[in-house]
Amino acid sequence: MTETTDRPALGRAWSRPAQLVLGLAAAVLLSGTGLFLAAVFLHVAPANSLSRKYRDEVDGVVYPEFEQNWKLFAPNPLQQNIGVDARVRTAADGSDARTRDWIGLTAQDLAAVRGNPAPSHADQNLLRRAWDFYDGSHDPQDEKPVGPRGRLAEQYLKRIALQRIGRAVDGERVVEIEFRVTSTTVPPPAWSGEAAPPAPKVRELPWWPVEDEDYRGLG
Amino acid sequence: MREPGLTPGIPHQGGPPPASVAAPGGPGPALGRALAAFTGRALGRHQAAVVRIGFGLVWLTYLLREWPHRRVLYGDRSPWSMELAQRLLADNGAFTVLPWFGGRLWFELVYHLAVLAALAVLLGWRTRASTVLFLVTVLSLQNRSVLLGDGGDNVVHLMAVYLVFTRCAEVWSLDARRVRPGWGGVVLWALLGAALAAGQFGGFSGDSLTWTGPTFPYLGWSPLFWGLWAVAGLWWLLGRLRPLGEPRAVLDALANMVHNCAMLVIAAEVVLIYATAGWYKVQGSRWQDGTALYYPLHLDYFAPWPGLSALLGSALLPVFLISYGTVILQVAFPFTLFNRRVKNVLLAVMMAEHLGIAVVLGLPVFSLAMIAADAVFLPTGVLLGAAAWLRRIRRGAGRSES
Repeated sequence: MTETTDRPALGRAWSRPAQLVLGLAAAVLLSGTGLFLAAVFLHVAPANSLSRKYRDEVDGVVYPEFEQNWKLFAPNPLQQNIGVDARVRTAADGSDARTRDWIGLTAQDLAAVRGNPAPSHADQNLLRRAWDFYDGSHDPQDEKPVGPRGRLAEQYLKRIALQRIGRAVDGERVVEIEFRVTSTTVPPPAWSGEAAPPAPKVRELPWWPVEDEDYRGLG
Repeated sequence: MREPGLTPGIPHQGGPPPASVAAPGGPGPALGRALAAFTGRALGRHQAAVVRIGFGLVWLTYLLREWPHRRVLYGDRSPWSMELAQRLLADNGAFTVLPWFGGRLWFELVYHLAVLAALAVLLGWRTRASTVLFLVTVLSLQNRSVLLGDGGDNVVHLMAVYLVFTRCAEVWSLDARRVRPGWGGVVLWALLGAALAAGQFGGFSGDSLTWTGPTFPYLGWSPLFWGLWAVAGLWWLLGRLRPLGEPRAVLDALANMVHNCAMLVIAAEVVLIYATAGWYKVQGSRWQDGTALYYPLHLDYFAPWPGLSALLGSALLPVFLISYGTVILQVAFPFTLFNRRVKNVLLAVMMAEHLGIAVVLGLPVFSLAMIAADAVFLPTGVLLGAAAWLRRIRRGAGRSES
């Protein structure tokens, strides 16, 4: 195998300037690498005295491109199935608004995931993570957004549903939309002897108005 | 390997001097050797090539698989509209070229460029340029729709950055087969320089191509892109003018150092992934009581084959063994690096576990990305053996065709 017997360029007699350049570069590269790895380590480690002291520096290195979260299924795996449903109110010219039936958005995703060896991000991640985003940016008591990202999450969730439902139902224009989210705890394994989990929790979001603007670019 | 003429088992015998003694007056021989290895060659060339091939393949497969959904995921039909994306981007400052023009045409251009870049990285074609395009396109798509990703996207994102700094095409690449440099590289270099200049001075790139950043470490993307471009030009120039001169050799040594640092970062990244995954699991009650595996198997989004999932999660003993085994594996992994044999066994088990995850939880992209990252720790002997085996298969196939 010629591939493994490459001769390292050992014993090359470097001139003084070359030594200087290489020495400096080695010092910069090694310390840079060390500091980068230290920053990434402090980012993934639990909050500690060191990472608190150098928080700005660590965040500056890690965000936005080196952010990472390796708490995969940890400390505990997710134990809830979350189902997002939506329904709309439609209005025809000159008549009262009509409330339509619930549509299982998550159910549509699951139907696409079932039996699929390579589920698409469009089915496996899009709605699931949009709901996580909404959940993380809203107060579950009154559905008020906490922080500036709350409004983005609402708009995102609304547009995901509208893309699937369309502009009209039975020829009537969609004027309002409402979400219902059911969280079902996975029952413990039969052998564990643990009590059955509480009944599924249902969370209803307020009715949101639907404007033409909300459909922009949805195709 | 034993030195000839020495009795085994007895250390400190006077034998022939080691081949690489540092220059007299320099630092000690050990340090000298380490420095010579650090500057003298690209360590782990085969591992770097496998990581490159792995991530090129993962991202290429992903892009082709999502091709029918591309406009909804990253393009003009996304529910995460460009306007929403830009509001988040203004906040987090992530790099993406997609907002430069918005619109479908530009998006399609970037998406298909991403496909070509992934293919070029996979094949090792003009790798100095194609890894940079890979970086730009991966970051552009992922940062445009940051809420779509999972752990697999995260690994691809990080490796896309790290790969730029490795000499990952020294073996098993089209670049390694090229006898003469040719003019293709010069044309590509000029094109990319023009594209970069357009992005830099065209007035449409917003805050994405800046020289400095607002916060520590105060660096924008421009120094990296222009720096890589300038070095590529200098490299070519010196190769033509003074191929055997010292400046060219210095560049080569610098490239080796950068490569070696990048390989260290890739290896450390993989160690961190497993170590943190393991350390946080140790604290979880479900991992402690040995039922953790059961729960992901009952999440609807990760159950493409519900019957298989139910079967796997149905009995106490296998669930307990796999749950505990996973934690032990992940916590132990960093320490096994000090023992080749144990490390290799663990590596094989982890790759097998990721194959299992790919099928059972329906996460092939994530699993393949993790396997590609694991490959940085595969021993050279195994990689060469696999390459020889592939060559034999190809030759066999060639014979049966003719």
